[in-house]
Amino acid sequence: MSKWKNKTFYKWLPMIVWIFALILLWEIGASIVAVTKRTPENVLPHIYQLIQSVLSLKPVSSGKTAIVLVLTSASKTLLRAALGFAIGTLLGFLLALIMKISKIAEKVIFPYLMLVQMIPILGMAPIILSITGNINVSRVVIAAILTFYPVATNTLAGFNAVEREKYELMHSFAAKKSSIYTKVLIPFSVPYLFTGLKISAPMAITASILVDTLQGDGGLGTMLSQSLKHAMSIYVFWQIVFFSALVGILSTYLMGALEKVISPQKRTRKKVIGKGMESNEKKEKKLISQNT
Amino acid sequence: MIAEKEKTTKIEIKTVTKTETKMENKTENKIENKIKEIEIKDLGMAFRDNQGNSVQALTGVNLDIYKGEFISLLGPSGCGKTTLLRMIADLLEPTEGSVHIAGMTPKEIRLQQKFGIVFQSPVLFDWRTVRENIELPLEIMKFGKEERRKRSLEMLDMVGLKNFEKHFPNQLSGGMQQRVNIARAFSIHPEILLMDEPFSALDEFTKEKLHEDLLRIWSQTNKTIIFVTHNIAEAVFLSDRVCVLSPHPGRLSAVVDIDLERTRTIDMKQSAHFNELVAKVRNSFEGGSL
Repeated sequence: MSKWKNKTFYKWLPMIVWIFALILLWEIGASIVAVTKRTPENVLPHIYQLIQSVLSLKPVSSGKTAIVLVLTSASKTLLRAALGFAIGTLLGFLLALIMKISKIAEKVIFPYLMLVQMIPILGMAPIILSITGNINVSRVVIAAILTFYPVATNTLAGFNAVEREKYELMHSFAAKKSSIYTKVLIPFSVPYLFTGLKISAPMAITASILVDTLQGDGGLGTMLSQSLKHAMSIYVFWQIVFFSALVGILSTYLMGALEKVISPQKRTRKKVIGKGMESNEKKEKKLISQNT
Repeated sequence: MIAEKEKTTKIEIKTVTKTETKMENKTENKIENKIKEIEIKDLGMAFRDNQGNSVQALTGVNLDIYKGEFISLLGPSGCGKTTLLRMIADLLEPTEGSVHIAGMTPKEIRLQQKFGIVFQSPVLFDWRTVRENIELPLEIMKFGKEERRKRSLEMLDMVGLKNFEKHFPNQLSGGMQQRVNIARAFSIHPEILLMDEPFSALDEFTKEKLHEDLLRIWSQTNKTIIFVTHNIAEAVFLSDRVCVLSPHPGRLSAVVDIDLERTRTIDMKQSAHFNELVAKVRNSFEGGSL
């Protein structure tokens, strides 16, 4: 039992050290700023001040407290981000599939896919806004564009990583192309797909927040810029910064959790912990004694 | 009296000749029982290298393989033994000559799903359990759930992995993974089993155990096995005939009959005859490039 405790302690140790180091640095900074700047809370407030603002019941704008304001605007932004993320994932996966099925399609599509990634898409947000004429739609579109590239390239890499022998084996069974896809390529590529999703989930959220700033529609980005312009408490700004960071990190972890549920490969790892503790040599011995 | 004696001796002689002819018939029958299954004629394969030059990997192979036979393709690397196997398996199109299996092309046989293939690496699908891996070809061949289950459990029992059906490949040792691979190849009840150096990545102890198991399964199922290897002792121990291939260019340089009695046991490896056969096989390599 104590061994187990030690193990978990060492597993979490680096993270604990990091958190403490960050808090320490932040507080040192805040203490210096408190003395040198006129409005220290605009530059670097103390952490206790932040926590106070979260817990505070004092309304900051239109009768809402700071945290309620942040959460309601977050729900708007995150919902659009999630929608764009889902659409981008679907598109990216389908695109990867098309590029795998047809070599010509790959040659035609792939270079332009890279091009899309090179365009500063956030700079194009105003254009997309004027095309769609709707801030909600442009949020979804931009989140989707940013998502589909990592998903498409990673999934395609997954498809291309299937070993030649697996194809030859399927060939020897006279398997149809469709069953090669459903039974080999797609299950094989799931971990690669999730690598793409882990990269693009926080990107979709960031994009959605930035698109918010273009138009006052009560998203996180809108609140962010308003609070910076002193239209309301500056702590709304700090809360949004921390909240967004947290959601961004959580989105990646969420993908990891989702992978454990969906990914056929992860299914194996779960069991390894339970049953696979026995060493292989032992198993082999057992096996031989069974046979003889 | 004398005449009588003569008679009896005559009769004796007659009976002797009768039994002799009977024996002859028997041996003839044995030959007749050998049904030609695979006919390889003037088979050759030329590859193109990076510079676009043609490289002869294999040339002028003539070989008949009989039904139910255990035959080895033996040779050093570069002798074209795997190339030969791949042409039989319809994984490669020959550039010269032909392969016919029961009068049909390898492609027709493959489409009838009569090949079982075992590669050097186990080629298991790590998201499928051991049993699901064995059932994969059966799923492709549209067998019902019941039949799949019945066959996979039967195969697991045969390769001695009865209690491992729910394990995943990465929980198994290399030897066990190769057992699963073999079970999968047998699960479709193939006519011809093609094995490409299936045991060369395994340690000596595991290998010996798998040799015995493979021979047991072979005698139970009576399939034709074509076994590629670079290990002389392995080829001699397992096979009815050993085809010796030599490199530069790859060609069939000898076919050695292995007349060790069946059921083979590990002890045979120490016998004088076994060692004679090993020497005979070794001496039949051309070019001495071993």
